[in-house]
Amino acid sequence: MIGKDFDNIFDHASEGILLAEIGSRKFFMGNPAICQMLGYTKEEIEKLGVSDIHPKKDLPYVLDQFKKQAEGKIELSKDLPVKKKDGTVFFADVNASPITIAGKNYVMGFFHDNTERKKMEDKLIAYHKELELKVVQTTQQYKDIEKALLNVMSDLKDSSARNEAILASIGDGLIAVGRDGRIMVMNKMAEELLGWNINKAIGELYNDVVTLEDEKGTFVPFEQRPLTRAITSSTTTTTTTTTTTTSLYLISKNKIKFPVAITVSPIILDNKIIGAVEVFRDITHEKAVDKAKTEFVSLASHQLRTPLSAVSWYTEMLLTGEVGKLNPKQKKYLDEVYSGNKRMVILVNSLLNVSRLELGTFAIEPEPTDMAKVLENTVDEYRKQIDARKIKLSRSFGENIPVIPADPKLLHMIMENILSNAIKYTPEGGKIEISLSLDDKKNILFKVSDTGYGIPKNQQDKIFTKLFRADNVREKDTEGTGLGLYIVKSIIDNSEGKIWFESTEDKGLPAGRHGTTFFVSIPITGMKKKEGTKTLI
Amino acid sequence: MLDEPKTILIVDDEQTLLSALVDKFTREGFVVLSAKDGQEGLDRAFADHPDLILLDIVMPVMDGMAMLANLRKDPWGKNAKVIMLTNLSEVEKVTSQLQGVYDYLVKSDWELKDVVKKVKERLGIKE
Repeated sequence: MIGKDFDNIFDHASEGILLAEIGSRKFFMGNPAICQMLGYTKEEIEKLGVSDIHPKKDLPYVLDQFKKQAEGKIELSKDLPVKKKDGTVFFADVNASPITIAGKNYVMGFFHDNTERKKMEDKLIAYHKELELKVVQTTQQYKDIEKALLNVMSDLKDSSARNEAILASIGDGLIAVGRDGRIMVMNKMAEELLGWNINKAIGELYNDVVTLEDEKGTFVPFEQRPLTRAITSSTTTTTTTTTTTTSLYLISKNKIKFPVAITVSPIILDNKIIGAVEVFRDITHEKAVDKAKTEFVSLASHQLRTPLSAVSWYTEMLLTGEVGKLNPKQKKYLDEVYSGNKRMVILVNSLLNVSRLELGTFAIEPEPTDMAKVLENTVDEYRKQIDARKIKLSRSFGENIPVIPADPKLLHMIMENILSNAIKYTPEGGKIEISLSLDDKKNILFKVSDTGYGIPKNQQDKIFTKLFRADNVREKDTEGTGLGLYIVKSIIDNSEGKIWFESTEDKGLPAGRHGTTFFVSIPITGMKKKEGTKTLI
Repeated sequence: MLDEPKTILIVDDEQTLLSALVDKFTREGFVVLSAKDGQEGLDRAFADHPDLILLDIVMPVMDGMAMLANLRKDPWGKNAKVIMLTNLSEVEKVTSQLQGVYDYLVKSDWELKDVVKKVKERLGIKE
């Protein structure tokens, strides 16, 4: 047609080629590639024009592009929508330029199907958009995390500030020491009490900052301090005003000495002792109150005893007849005065003991003690009363009872109270059995059984209560203070022992079927020493 | 009655109790000196060197513990026999032991006859 070579290229080109007349926009010819692209035959194509192979809505744009290409203003028109015979639309890049063949003006367009590229591009765009979205989302996430972190940090800062404020505001002195004995933390009150500046004290050896003395002014060496014990053996120590151990005094940097109550406990982190924390306070006031209380009790009992002594001594001198013989009635009356007075003396002594037990000021002074001997002595003291009530007393002492460290005076007090109760609350002619035995090789068991009135079932739980007296004995006997068993229990509680009883009330049961048995068990390891300002009487 | 009358000094500010003790010990054949406070007691002790002193603790002017401390500073007084006779419960027991006094009697717990017995024991008098 145009030339053989051109025809060859035209027919075999992979790109679609269309020639359209510029004036009528009718196709003049199309190559096989364009026919395939559009789905028309060669003949069909040649009957169509530009407006037939593009979607209607896109025509204004397409025709404008065609016009520009015809005028040679542009060559490439990208992504032109192209409509196939079956109505589907694809996109093509159309590279077109004007051409004159046989005096007629045409536009020759090379069509390149963009569908695949377009798909890829769309995919890319979608992917890009997705990426962008992801970036935005991730950025938001980072921002959220950052915000959360900032919150946590600010919380931490707040809580650390709060902890510091709490620590600083504790009304007691507080020092935390590491395993190396150096001060890690100290609060405001500690600063005040010790006279050491916090900043200077931190990092110093505890030993250099805290000077402790005992009551006598002897320096307490580092090894013996509660803090050292806390670190080395993880024991928690508390010292108070009425402590069993000697009171501790702290000496501040400016040499002010004052009594302290200390609680030291180990600091345990991940099952390891990493140091110790000591809380302490000035107990000058408590000490003073305590001393005043003790002195009051002491003086009150002194004042009470003076008139009692006078009544006792003068009555005694009258009763012996050394200032003149008494008639039987006079003697009887004076006996009443004397025994009434004696009860008063016992009551004062008991009250004094109670106050000592309750103030914690009584001492336990263990020494090697033969409990059998103490018991013998106690029984001897009560021989007269036992005989007077015609009570049959039997005793059995085990042979292998060891000498144990115990306070003989306290043991005597325990035995005396239990034995005198048995005597007092057993009717004339009754039986009392006392025994001492080695119980399971660990404890010495002291046992007193009587055939007495017994303790009413519903009152058994109150028997060790201060000033309590069971109803059945209050009817029979007006003596007794209700303090004896309370004192006994307190002593035993303070010396690792145990006390219990079994009792059946006498309600018409024959002797032997009723009565009370008291058990006192003292470990053979003995009583522990307890320092105190007072001994019981 | 005693073969050889012994002199005892009773120091107590409580007139009633002092009288009871003076009466009792006089009847028991002692030569009895008395003082109503630690200062007076110290003066009597240094002047008369009694065989034994029965010493109360809570007293005005000079209390029993102060009198004891002063007594022990004296060449005669440092070995003088002293029995504490008080209504204080063992408060000063340890202190008095440090001053060489091992008898510490609580008045309300002791009958007069037992106080006499204790004094005689300390003086080596057999009944």
